[in-house]
Amino acid sequence: MMIKIEREENSLVKGLQQFFKQLLETQEIDALFLPVGLKGSHSVMPSLVVDPAQLEDVVPLSPAFPINSGRMVSRLSYKASGRKTAVLLRPCEMRAFVELVKLKQGSRQELILIGMDCPRAFTTSDYTAYMKDAPLTQDAYIEKVFSPDSERLNGFEFSSACRTCENPFPVNADINILLHGVDLSDGVVVESGSDEGQEILKSLNLKEAVRPDKRDEVILQIKEANARASAAMIEEITEKTDSIEKLNAFFDRCINCYNCRNMCPVCYCKECVFNTDVFHHQPVQYHQWAEKKGSIKLPTDTIFYHLTRMAHMSHSCVECGQCSNACPSDINVFQLFKSVAQKTQAAFEYAPGMDENQPPPLSVFYEREFENVVGIESE
Amino acid sequence: METFEPVIIAFVCNWCTYTAADLAGTSRLAYPTNIRLIRVMCTGMVDPQYVIKAFLEGADGVLISGCHPGDCHYINGNYKARRRIKLLKEILPRFGIEKERLRLTWIGASDGIEFAEVMNRLNDQIIEMGPSQTNLSKAI
Repeated sequence: MMIKIEREENSLVKGLQQFFKQLLETQEIDALFLPVGLKGSHSVMPSLVVDPAQLEDVVPLSPAFPINSGRMVSRLSYKASGRKTAVLLRPCEMRAFVELVKLKQGSRQELILIGMDCPRAFTTSDYTAYMKDAPLTQDAYIEKVFSPDSERLNGFEFSSACRTCENPFPVNADINILLHGVDLSDGVVVESGSDEGQEILKSLNLKEAVRPDKRDEVILQIKEANARASAAMIEEITEKTDSIEKLNAFFDRCINCYNCRNMCPVCYCKECVFNTDVFHHQPVQYHQWAEKKGSIKLPTDTIFYHLTRMAHMSHSCVECGQCSNACPSDINVFQLFKSVAQKTQAAFEYAPGMDENQPPPLSVFYEREFENVVGIESE
Repeated sequence: METFEPVIIAFVCNWCTYTAADLAGTSRLAYPTNIRLIRVMCTGMVDPQYVIKAFLEGADGVLISGCHPGDCHYINGNYKARRRIKLLKEILPRFGIEKERLRLTWIGASDGIEFAEVMNRLNDQIIEMGPSQTNLSKAI
């Protein structure tokens, strides 16, 4: 079913805040998990809210997300809490959470998943500059970002992840907030995605709506434009990193801080091998490397780390761009990983986070498959 | 001109290919000494990381060899290995490490002759390809 969330005091944001308030006041839902603007700061961080009075700081469609909430929702749901929580996630956050559910690091059991048409995002550093620089009101931002051809806003470019995203639309959710193709002067449209979602929407007694008729057309346009941007970006980054020497140059400023791994929602190991004693080398080891090659850069294992991460998670990469966001040396890790993810995902015909029932490529295997990689004369 | 002697790392499974290597030895069959065997319990335990490490440390070729499909001592370890090789064959060529430098073969315990033949063939192939460029890198 479809319902309409009307503007409240002529504001979409207030209308949405009112909608979340109503949700929290229903019997079924005990808590909400959604982006909240922190007091005395421009930062918008995902927060668990139980007091309806505190929903006035909710930023439902924020121009930045400093963290992929998919991972946070896994923290909230990997074991039963005895409480029902409704969570609001961007499409890439939703896909990340679905990947974690497949890996049994989260559960939908006690959750109501609310998806949304993506409001895109600036990088965290651009967002800070944007907020200093006379930002738009939240409502004005939403109206602009959901209007056609919005490559830049207030002079700021959206993150490369957002510009090349081919799926900025909700999937796998119980409730979907739709903005593309919707006449926003009227409000936004909310669609149920599951029976449970439908029950909840019914209980709110809101005005019914019809599916926005221009939506499919707008979606197609965005997909096509972003696919073009993606192909161009991949071509450029591939040319820039097509040998180990070039890869070294690409990571020349990498300080092995592992922030890209820490912020990656699908880097799923409980303990990363790069944190273990395996990489606590003996002093003599460094000397041996230097003696073999003439000299060696420290910290070591930089390229090894990034290549290993590609082998471990690239097939599940949801392309949220948080790796680049987290890099203190300003390396666009995302572009590189997306270019590899495209290959590994195609090899296994895998679309991370899109279909809950599609198992991750390295979790299954069959007797007769990939026979062309076997043998001394193989491909 | 100095002849190129490649470094080839071979991860071989205890139950099939390593036993085949043993058989090749007791049968007095020769195979190139620049192939260094690393015995693992199963090809299913070869993390992609081991292969990446071998290449970054200067290996010119890497072989993973285990039991034929259906013969795995641990039922399905070789199928897992095959998926990981598929994955690596997508990633490594992206950075200039040619697909052909990474090989996966099935050599059963009784295939001593085949073992020696495969090792000779692999060595010839790598010599023909020349040294791997990763060798020159100052960073690993």
